[in-house]
Amino acid sequence: MKDKRLPHPPLRVLIVEDEALLAMDIEAIVADCGHDVVAEAASLVEVGALHGLAPPDLAFVDIQLAEGSNGLDVAALIRRQWTDTAVVFVTANPKKVPDDFAGAYGIIPKPFSRSGLMAAMRYIEEGLCDPPPVSQPPRSFLTSPAVRADWAAAGG
Amino acid sequence: MQQKEDWRLTERILHEVGRGDPFAAAIRGTRMPMVITDPRQRDNPIVFANEAFQDLCGYARDEIIGRNCRFLQGPDTDRDAVARLRDAIRAEEPINVDLLNYRRDGSTFWNALYVSPVRSEDGEIQFYFASQMDVTHRVEAQDTIAAQKADIEEQVRRRTADLEAALETKTLLLHEVDHRVKNNLTMVGSLLRLQARAIPDRSLRTTLETMLERVDALATVHRRLYQNRDIHRFDAGAFAHDLTSDILAGTGRDDIVLETDVASVEIRAADATALGLILNELVVNAVRHAFADDRPGTLALKVYRDGETGRIELRDDGPGFDVDAAEGGTIGRTLVARLSRQLRAETVWRNANPGTCVLMSFPVAT
Repeated sequence: MKDKRLPHPPLRVLIVEDEALLAMDIEAIVADCGHDVVAEAASLVEVGALHGLAPPDLAFVDIQLAEGSNGLDVAALIRRQWTDTAVVFVTANPKKVPDDFAGAYGIIPKPFSRSGLMAAMRYIEEGLCDPPPVSQPPRSFLTSPAVRADWAAAGG
Repeated sequence: MQQKEDWRLTERILHEVGRGDPFAAAIRGTRMPMVITDPRQRDNPIVFANEAFQDLCGYARDEIIGRNCRFLQGPDTDRDAVARLRDAIRAEEPINVDLLNYRRDGSTFWNALYVSPVRSEDGEIQFYFASQMDVTHRVEAQDTIAAQKADIEEQVRRRTADLEAALETKTLLLHEVDHRVKNNLTMVGSLLRLQARAIPDRSLRTTLETMLERVDALATVHRRLYQNRDIHRFDAGAFAHDLTSDILAGTGRDDIVLETDVASVEIRAADATALGLILNELVVNAVRHAFADDRPGTLALKVYRDGETGRIELRDDGPGFDVDAAEGGTIGRTLVARLSRQLRAETVWRNANPGTCVLMSFPVAT
C-alpha cells in the first residue's frame, strides 16, 4: 500500500450501475470533473467480462445490481482483477455496507446531487493522486476508516 | 371423666406458666382451634384439643387425644412443608407453615399452623402449643390469582410476539419505501441533469438547473430523513450544514469560504421538505448575488435555538442589495414566501453592511 504508484488526473473511472439513467448521469458528472469513464457494467458478470481492461483508478459501484448480483461481490472481484482500483459504493442504503467498508475506499449515499457528487469526486481525486486531500471532507462522501487511518499515518 | 382429665391438664399447664383460670377458659372457649402436645411422651401425642379444633377436623376428642398431629395429613400434603415442621420441632423452635390437612370425612382444608414450644422456668420444653386456622379461602384465592397471572403473562407474551413481528414487518416496509423514494429521487435528478445537458439555450438551461437544485435539496432532505431513531424528527442544523456545503462545493469555487456555527435544532420531519426548499433558495441566492462575477468572500451559516423558535442565519459579505426592491418577483421569492407561511416560519432580509443577512425563524418540534 505504501509504495503504490499514485495515479494522475484524469482518472480512469469504471461505473457499475444497473440503472441506465443513473449510469449516464454519473458518467456525465465524472466527465464534467475532467475524468474519463473507461467502462460501464450492470452486473457482476459484466464486471468479470472486463478483465482485459487496463486497470481503472476508480470504480463507482452500486450495491443492488442486475441479475441479483451484489456490489460487495463486485468490489471483491474488482480487487482480484485489478488490485489497486479504488472502489466507492454508491448506495441508497449505506447501512448495508459493513463497518470496515468491505475494503472499499468510501461511500456516496443516494440520492446524490450533482454538487454533492462533484464535491465527492474532487475529494476522491485529491485522496488518490496526492493524499491526504486538502479539501474539507464533503458531506456527500464517507471515507473508509482504513483510508482515514492511512492518511493520519502519512500526515504524521 | 374425659372432661375432668382435661381440667387437670389445663391446671397443670397453667400452674407451670403461672396463670389462673381465666386463661384456661379462654383456650377452651376460643374460636381459634388449638392443641397441646407433650413431647415428653412417646411420639409427642396430643394431650389437649379445644372444641374449635374438634369442629375444624371433625374428630371427637377421644379420637384425638393420644395421637400425633400427623394423623391430619394425607396423600396430597406437601412433604417439604411437613419436613420443615418436623425439623422445627426437633430444633425446638417455633414455626409457621401452611399444610393441606384432611378432615375425618376425607375432605381437605388448608391449615395455617403455628407451633411453638412452651418452656418451664429452667428452659426445659414442657409442651408444644399449636394453633390452627382454616385458610382454604386464602390459599385457593392465591392459587386462582397465580393461575390468572400465568394466563395473563402467557397472553402478554403471545401478544408481544405478535406486535414484535408486526413491528419488524413495518420496519422492513419503511426501509423498502425509504429505499425506493431515494432511488426515485436519484432518477428524477438524473433525468433533469441529462435533459439540462441537451438544451442549447442558455437561459432555458439555467432554469432547468435551478429546478435541479431544488430536486437536489429534496434529495438532501431525504438522505437525512429516517437516520434518527425518532423518525418524526429532523435535525435542521445538520441538514443546513449539509446543504450549504453541498451547494458551495457544487459551484466548484474555492474562493468562497464557509463559516459555520451550527447547533442541533430539531423540527418535525413533516416540515423538513419545506424547510429544505426555503434554505436552498436562500443559499443559492446568496451564492448568485453576493459572490457574482467571481467575487470572493465569506458565507456565514449560524443555526441555533431560541426558546421554542429555531433560527437559521445566513450572512454574506457581498455588496448588499436593495431590500425593498428584492421583495417579490422571481419564483424563488414566491417559493420562500409560500413555504414560510406553510411552515409558520418568518424569513427576513436586511442589509448587514457589508453584505446581506437573511434570518429564518421557524417553530421547533415539541
